[in-house]
Amino acid sequence: METTIVDQDPPQSTDGRQSPRSSPSRIIRGFEAYALLILTVVVGAFFSFWGPTAETFLSAGNLRALASGNAVVAVVALAALIPLIAGEFDLSVGAIAGLSAVLAAEAISSGLPVILALVIALIAGTAVGLINATICTRVGVNAVVTTLGTSIIVAGVINKVTGGRTVSGNLPTEFLRFGSGSTLGLPNIVWALAIIALAVYYLVAHTPYGRYLYAYGANPQAARLVGIRIRLTVGMTFVLAGLIAGSAGFLQVLRAGGADPRVGESLLLPAITAAFLSAAAIKPGRYNVGGTIVAVLFLAVLNSGLNLAGVPPYVNSIVNGVALITGVALAVLLSRRKA
Amino acid sequence: MAHDRVESCPPQGRSADLGDLFLRLEGVSKSFGPTRALQDVSFTVRRGSIHALLGGNGSGKSTLIKALAGVQPADAGTAMLGGVTLDLRQLSPQTAHAAGLRFVHQNDSTFASLSVAENLAIGSGFATGVAWHIVWREQKRRASEAIERFGIKAKPADLLKDLSPATRKMIEIARALQDIDEERPGVLVLDEPTAALPTSEANTLLDAIRRYAEQGQSITYVTHRLEEVFALADEATILRDGRNWATVRPGDITHDELVSNMMGDDWESAKKTRDHEIGDPVLEVRDISAGATRHCSLAVRAGEVVGVAGLIGSGRSSLLKSLFGDLPLESGSVTIDRLPVRHGSPREAMHAGIAYVPEDRSTDAVFPGLSVGDNLSIASLSRYWRHAVIQRKAERADSRRLLGKYLIKAPSDASLIGTLSGGNQQKVVLARWLRREPRVLLLDEPTQGVDVRARAEIYQLIATASRSGTAVLLVSSDFEELVTVCDSVAVLRSGHLIAVLPAADLDAEKLNALVHAPLAS
Repeated sequence: METTIVDQDPPQSTDGRQSPRSSPSRIIRGFEAYALLILTVVVGAFFSFWGPTAETFLSAGNLRALASGNAVVAVVALAALIPLIAGEFDLSVGAIAGLSAVLAAEAISSGLPVILALVIALIAGTAVGLINATICTRVGVNAVVTTLGTSIIVAGVINKVTGGRTVSGNLPTEFLRFGSGSTLGLPNIVWALAIIALAVYYLVAHTPYGRYLYAYGANPQAARLVGIRIRLTVGMTFVLAGLIAGSAGFLQVLRAGGADPRVGESLLLPAITAAFLSAAAIKPGRYNVGGTIVAVLFLAVLNSGLNLAGVPPYVNSIVNGVALITGVALAVLLSRRKA
Repeated sequence: MAHDRVESCPPQGRSADLGDLFLRLEGVSKSFGPTRALQDVSFTVRRGSIHALLGGNGSGKSTLIKALAGVQPADAGTAMLGGVTLDLRQLSPQTAHAAGLRFVHQNDSTFASLSVAENLAIGSGFATGVAWHIVWREQKRRASEAIERFGIKAKPADLLKDLSPATRKMIEIARALQDIDEERPGVLVLDEPTAALPTSEANTLLDAIRRYAEQGQSITYVTHRLEEVFALADEATILRDGRNWATVRPGDITHDELVSNMMGDDWESAKKTRDHEIGDPVLEVRDISAGATRHCSLAVRAGEVVGVAGLIGSGRSSLLKSLFGDLPLESGSVTIDRLPVRHGSPREAMHAGIAYVPEDRSTDAVFPGLSVGDNLSIASLSRYWRHAVIQRKAERADSRRLLGKYLIKAPSDASLIGTLSGGNQQKVVLARWLRREPRVLLLDEPTQGVDVRARAEIYQLIATASRSGTAVLLVSSDFEELVTVCDSVAVLRSGHLIAVLPAADLDAEKLNALVHAPLAS
């Protein structure tokens, strides 16, 4: 029989090992990070040149409406993002924003100073967040159940406060003018979003607390064994989510000049969608602030274009749902490939 | 390089029928970016023989198996199996299966709450009748056949959770091989089948594997336990840095030669050298009870490595967990450098200078999806928190330095930890704690599931830590390891500490007898 067991030449340092080869993976990674942003630009360009929407889409009025209309959605998405990084779902952020909006509008229209209305909005949001945190981390009820429950309760409270009617009227004109005004070409409401986004970005990307959130999201058991105070860490995510959602409620009043008792419901789905989609952009495979903003922008451009094109509303729903599942599926595939 | 390479040897079949080549791998290569995981690897498995695949950390064993299974395409290479040539660049798992390649992976893939018959049927399909109801009589008959053929000590109706680990592994093998026979021959690839088994169980499984080979089954076999290679394998292919370094017959080579072929030069230097003074007691444990641990007292001095020997359930893991604040103390006290330790939480234990490497790396220590750098600094973030921001630059510079200092093989500190081999992940976990310069280092099975080279490096890291005055408490079920690495060994039995003996007076046999002996009343 033939000898097939071969003893190969001893390994020698081959040139291939050290030579810096052009790295296609880096290019691909860059593409992954900005794919959603590029897609947003492509969709935007399409609506800018496409016959039925070419005139309206790029108009200053539409862009302004697009930006300020979605700034509040973006703030609610940032609220949902923080628990999401730790692997927890907060379904109450929409309801909290609605509650804060209603309370702030009531406060202002009853003659209280605007700053006090802001404080009330923030305290209300934080309080609901604190309740979520306590039930989740002290009693141990699953976060989805807890926040679903509190959001239903909050919806009830909103109805009690408003009697189901939109709170408006009596808002000072200065307040309304600021809410619809612009500074340096950007709507004031977008500036508010920028400040909140920077604060959240700082928190999750540049503080130990943010690092602990990602660690807890990756492996809760190991997080405990490296000395992370997990109940405090996770509990804080709900409190912060409440605080940020509360500020979103205030911004909603500022923007809309009143508070619709059903605004929370309309904010929740796009915000949660964007928070999930954030894992598909900027830092692929990780929920992140930049990705959240890009995702809100993407959904905004898509929906605005579809609306201007005059498609029936059900098309928007279907498109949004497909976008969510596709985006998250891509993020899952990306992280699986890397693991 | 100081080591000699073993000359290739002409094949002389164990028996006459061992001759015909059965699986031939030819020129398998695979790169991940700039890293060449496999370079032109070729070897042959003979019919009815057991061919061991050996290699250290990152030598390419798992990449090779993944390519062969069609899970991860190779960049080049073919597999010839029973006259069919498979292109490893575009092999699918289905094609690999159809060609007769069968894989049993390291992790248990049986279903504990299902019966033997059900476990065997998952994989080959259930016998179904009208309206797809399962024909249990037929199912039971098939299971009985398989049980007889593979010599499994179980009945078709037994639940898997009631069977021993070795029997469960044999059912996995039977499940993989049930459609493989004389007319439809195939190759069985076993990835570390004994890694999770205690010695007696491992022997049962090895006997079974040997029997299957004698019945004509061709087997390729990955292991870290070199003694098994000598007991079992007809031939062994050694992979090193992605190339086949040598193919040897275990009968022609000594254990040490085999190790130095796999490891290169650094193995010898890793053996224990105790050249430093042992200082004052650092960790003093008085009469503690927690979980399975009952009234244990012991002391570990500066620079000392104390082993803990005991069976599963003897309280060895709960001893470490309670010291780290992960398990509440029911009674007793602990001091470090004569200062009492509050044991409310891992956080407090860390502040007291304790570090803990848990037994189960993937569930308790590693943060998957985070980078190597993030995994290294997660327990030391406060040192980078300056001017109200984490100093990323300083953090990353330290991480890169730690990769070298703690012998971690990783493409970069930004690589995801999941891309590292088990041994390197373990070194990351060890580095995470050692960089804090702990007074007390608690290690629970620090070398479980890591290959020989990583094991040597981990010993080296433990020795370095103890040289700088850390008190080390090491739990291991590998008694060879305990007597080699430790200065003394504490023996636990049913939660009680029955003796602390100097390692110099011990060997693995004695320890084995001590942990198994019935408690004197």
